[in-house]
Amino acid sequence: MIYKIIEKWALEDLFEGLRANYDEVVGPQPSKGHGGPALVFDKLTNFNDLRLDYDTTILPPKKYFLNPDERILRFNRSTGDVFDTEPVQISRAIFGMHPCDINALLLLDQIFLGDYVDPYYQAARKSTFIIGTSCMPSPGHICNAFGSDEVHRGFDLFLTDLGDRYFLSCATVPAAELVDKYLDAREPVAADISDFQARTRQFKAAFKYLPQMDQLPLLYGAKYEDEDLWNQIGDDCLSCGACSMVCPVCHCFDVRDKLDANGETGLRHRVWDSCNFSEFAEVAHDYNFRPTHTSRVRYRFFHKFVGNFTRNGKMLCVGCSRCNRACKVGITPARVIRALQEDANANVGAETPDSADTVSAKKDCA
Amino acid sequence: MSAAIHNHGSSLKPAYPRAIVLSLASDFGCQLQLSNIADLLDVLGTIKLEYWQLMSSAVLPADYDIAIIEGAVTTQDHIELLQQVRTVAQTIIAIGSCAITGGVPALAAQDLGKHVQAVYSDDADRVAAGRVRPAPISNYVAVDYLVAGCPIDPREFVTVLQGALLGVRQRQQREPLCAQCKTMEAPCFYSIRAAQDIADGMATPQALCLGLVTRTGCGALCITRGRPCTGCRGIAADANLSSARTFIANEGLDVDDFDDALRIYSSHALDDGGEEQ
Amino acid sequence: MTAAHTAKAYRKLGANPYRPWPARITSITQLTATEKLFELRLIDEHVREEFSFTAGQFVELSIFGIGEAPISISSAPSKQGFIELCIRQTGTVTNAIHRMRCGDVVGIRGPFGRGFPFEEMENHDVLLVAGGLGIAPLKSLINHVHDERHAFGKVTILLGARNPAELLFRQEFDMWKHRQDFDLMMTVDQPDDSWDGEVGLVTRLFDRVDIDPDNTYGAICGPPVMYPFVVEEMRKKHLDVDRIYVSVERRMKCGIGMCGHCAVGHQYTCIEGPVFSYWEAINLREAI
Repeated sequence: MIYKIIEKWALEDLFEGLRANYDEVVGPQPSKGHGGPALVFDKLTNFNDLRLDYDTTILPPKKYFLNPDERILRFNRSTGDVFDTEPVQISRAIFGMHPCDINALLLLDQIFLGDYVDPYYQAARKSTFIIGTSCMPSPGHICNAFGSDEVHRGFDLFLTDLGDRYFLSCATVPAAELVDKYLDAREPVAADISDFQARTRQFKAAFKYLPQMDQLPLLYGAKYEDEDLWNQIGDDCLSCGACSMVCPVCHCFDVRDKLDANGETGLRHRVWDSCNFSEFAEVAHDYNFRPTHTSRVRYRFFHKFVGNFTRNGKMLCVGCSRCNRACKVGITPARVIRALQEDANANVGAETPDSADTVSAKKDCA
Repeated sequence: MSAAIHNHGSSLKPAYPRAIVLSLASDFGCQLQLSNIADLLDVLGTIKLEYWQLMSSAVLPADYDIAIIEGAVTTQDHIELLQQVRTVAQTIIAIGSCAITGGVPALAAQDLGKHVQAVYSDDADRVAAGRVRPAPISNYVAVDYLVAGCPIDPREFVTVLQGALLGVRQRQQREPLCAQCKTMEAPCFYSIRAAQDIADGMATPQALCLGLVTRTGCGALCITRGRPCTGCRGIAADANLSSARTFIANEGLDVDDFDDALRIYSSHALDDGGEEQ
Repeated sequence: MTAAHTAKAYRKLGANPYRPWPARITSITQLTATEKLFELRLIDEHVREEFSFTAGQFVELSIFGIGEAPISISSAPSKQGFIELCIRQTGTVTNAIHRMRCGDVVGIRGPFGRGFPFEEMENHDVLLVAGGLGIAPLKSLINHVHDERHAFGKVTILLGARNPAELLFRQEFDMWKHRQDFDLMMTVDQPDDSWDGEVGLVTRLFDRVDIDPDNTYGAICGPPVMYPFVVEEMRKKHLDVDRIYVSVERRMKCGIGMCGHCAVGHQYTCIEGPVFSYWEAINLREAI
């Protein structure tokens, strides 16, 4: 890792450098959509659209690595011929990924670049340049509970905001070259390191709420059959799956064939799916392993907090808060953790997030 | 319906499944959408269209394989026609909200007599003879495939038709629209609620978006174009209406307004004890 | 053979794991009113050479334009160049292949998952129990034991079906009844005129089963409701739960541990399964 310091005004030079080297530069910017105010990752044509001090976006940058609708092969029904569809070879720079989203990508790597390699994910990973950026926690952000408030790999370049300047961490050769070629960067001095530390302390202190994570996987197992606990949450669930779509680590997909109008040739698609959909766990003869709202909600968080933790040593949540905003009925990781930690036999005033936090999180929900 | 629709005619030249397009009580909008299919000629290469009410004055043939039906059932004649069609057609494809949920025509189901009286006054029994409570066609005959929407999306129709030709049971997505809306990354209408913004004229206090409980599949067409969901595809099979109503109330909106908005396309399901497909 | 073997083969072939290999239907046998046995041959020679599996593994069967479905392999691993799939007509993909003819081309991906631990089972007695369509995955193991008969001790096979017409591979097994090297018993719930054998659930047959619990492996395939009852009978014979293997049914969509559909507890049916020891299975949430 190489460390550098740049002045804030130099950011535009970085943007121009990226534009010169990548087919597309994307970053957080106000949505052009019509609903409430919201930010999205989208193509940047104008540097002034970039909002590096953003809170969160509707969808995570996951969309650039796992296309919501990926065409995975072309076929001919009559001849049985199958053709691979080429992974899209666009080179892209993502400006402004938060540590939670970079950590989410590292979790997806475990799944899509394991024994089996997903060629589409791999191609996108290889052709993407990632610029991380530091953030300050907003209400509802619980990345601290999952250790994803810090990130030490998975990016090319990371910008830590020191007020009037950025502390740059260059992790890769292309990043170092970019900095070298386009930025008037200097070596950090003691005052920079000291400011970096101060910022980190300020960041850590800004978290108003830390979920109680003690023994969560075992506790989940022990309370799995607690119908009252799960029905209280599950009865609220709209089964809409919005939570899965906006989750930076939810990655389940369905595979569907779609014919061209001629009825002979067609494409096989891989589309985002959700375990909150009732079709998800259905097998032959319409038998459904998870037919109720409750059983699906219970499973979804089980997979996040216990399933992948037991299997890969990591929980499939980075505390980014997107689902808090997407879920209209308040089914959030924090609520589930709280419900699990609550001791039904003790009348302890359980630690809860600021109710004010919940309200303001709802207000700017996207 | 499990077998693929067999070809007819001599073995020397290929024959195609014969289709008819019928309309019950509707505004013909869905038939019009059929004529908007960009690849219409390709699709017509896979079927033989024997009768299309909107497009020609030919008479309904005696024999056909696929019946494509739009509109709600509102008269005794409709019921008899449907029953007749069911005995002939191997496959019935219901298109549009009128046919599937009863749609707008079903709004008249409550106090039907009063409505008829208001329009036709003393002449009602003569002019509107044989009327029945407006209902989706599945109330009277089994429906094999359906294409939801008001009006339907021609591309979705093509996909459903292909499934019917292949004899594949239709995959029914049961969840409400929100997931697709998120995939399109459309900002949620329920977030335009900050009172200050409304006061500042930054936002409007409307936003009774019915996507929360509406059958998915449209790709959030309205929402991405700036309009809240009107529920034209009917209520989703997995919709959680009671939780959705609680949310509406918590948002400070009127639950009765929400139900009234839902009634525009789903009054049959809400009030007539009708079963969603 | 495990999921890792197939992953390696895919890497060796430089292949996209979502891409099915074309395979030709070389024979179709109508087994019952709703089940057919399809024999398939992978068309590409290199792929055919790389394709090796163990009993209990499955493939993803593609019917283009309709989709994919996971199907367990019924033929013996020793059968070279061909695989057999016993398929019940139940969903869109299985209905579609039931309409196909010899010479038609389908797609095959795999083999996926973990099969029965045949190396561990070798040199031991085996007790194999199948109910209904459960015979489809178990048939491969039965065929394997048959082909490698010398490698196993005493072999006991119990088969159950609702009625004689639904008893799969009946003709073949009728002939085995007279063999000395297999102890094969069959039963049906609802007998007809053609049936002169046992009547009742497959658990009834256990009265006549005699095993050495310290030297026996059990394997069970059938509808989920059957497992607890059959396991109970095996436990009565003092068989340990970690020596009893079961095959778990899920809708494996990708077969490669990515799509999430087949997750049971903390594992994936398509990677760690579909064959689990009963001990593993009861420790996985909602597995059976």
